[in-house]
Amino acid sequence: MHRSIPVLATLAVLSGCGASFPPPTQRMADAQSAERSARELGATNEPAASLSLKLAQDQIATAEKALLEGDNKRADSLLIRAKADAELAVAQAKEKSTSVAGQKAIDDSAAQKATNAGQGAVK
Amino acid sequence: MKTHRTTGHATGHAAGHATHRALGLVAVVIGGLGIGCAAALPPQDLVDARAAYTRASHGPAATANPADLNTAKQQLDVAEAAFTNEGDSQNTRDQAYVAARKTQLAEVVARTKEAAQAREGVLAGMHADQTKAVALTSAALGRTRTELNAQGVALEGETARRQAAEKRAAQAAADLAKFASVKQEARGMVITLSGSVLFASAKWDLLPAAQLRLNDVATALTKEDPLSKMVVEGHTDSQGAAAYNQDLSKHRAQAVRDYLVTRGIASDRISAAGFGPTRSIADNASPEGRANNRRVEIVVQPATPQ
Repeated sequence: MHRSIPVLATLAVLSGCGASFPPPTQRMADAQSAERSARELGATNEPAASLSLKLAQDQIATAEKALLEGDNKRADSLLIRAKADAELAVAQAKEKSTSVAGQKAIDDSAAQKATNAGQGAVK
Repeated sequence: MKTHRTTGHATGHAAGHATHRALGLVAVVIGGLGIGCAAALPPQDLVDARAAYTRASHGPAATANPADLNTAKQQLDVAEAAFTNEGDSQNTRDQAYVAARKTQLAEVVARTKEAAQAREGVLAGMHADQTKAVALTSAALGRTRTELNAQGVALEGETARRQAAEKRAAQAAADLAKFASVKQEARGMVITLSGSVLFASAKWDLLPAAQLRLNDVATALTKEDPLSKMVVEGHTDSQGAAAYNQDLSKHRAQAVRDYLVTRGIASDRISAAGFGPTRSIADNASPEGRANNRRVEIVVQPATPQ
């Protein structure tokens, strides 16, 4: 009896909330928006970003199924995760484009030094 | 089951209708939950989130991106609170999952910022290099321009000096032509003065009339290029002993030379030489020829070889 009370109570809390859980419309919009941003920033072109993006997309798809089945709570949980993954994909895509720009600057700098040295302007 | 569910709602919404007995049961349930949670193992998501945050807080994100790292910390706190209150619930796992992603994001953004700063540094270096190169180039151009100007001035000076010297020489020759024979020869400009005008027979003292002539010669010669050298040559006809004539021609040349020095020709520019009858320009058989051979020549050698 002492042990069964908490277990029963937990079940009661969970099922009670589940029954009245509203559809996570805002979370779906947030997750989809973040996923779109990641794609637009080129997340598919970079391994780490594209993995995060894939996770987000899979979870959004699963959430959509859960919504159809009326499991709002599970959909909400999936969308919370999907949004976090999509936002990470955005950051990873930005990191990639920044490092590409950085490498270009280094290359340009080397080319400029070579040009200046060739003209005898800088020793 | 029905009772417990109602209790759950009473807890969540703090409804005030609960009976004394129901409140007692709530207390028991909450107490039981607390015990249950304290005993529960943290879910893998939370373990991962904690590890991720520990790693990130000791990495570059701590200095390069404290804002996002703090957001991740707050999210981890939410997950920890959920775990404390609810144990290994789906919410705890979701919040922990989000905390791990936010931590990762903080690290990624930190690296991005560092890369952007490095790029800024490279670009600033490039700009500085370019500025330096432009400065050095324009300094070099300035030096070249100054050198060219100096060369131009020197060249102009040289040209002007040469033109002036040529003009003076032409003027001097024109002046001399009025009273002496002036010829351009390979050895220079040769001014020939008749011996009978300058000296009495067998003498080397200048006649008074000769001094007037030589004054004009000296005036003309001072108009010559001041860098030119002059040689006064004495010549005789072939009558008489050669040694005597040689000596006579030497003394006459020396007399003319000395007089010209007194008239302002620098002594280091002018020398004298006697040739006796050795350089005849006319036939010694006739009186006219001998008269022409008795002469003093002043040879003006140009300053620079033509």
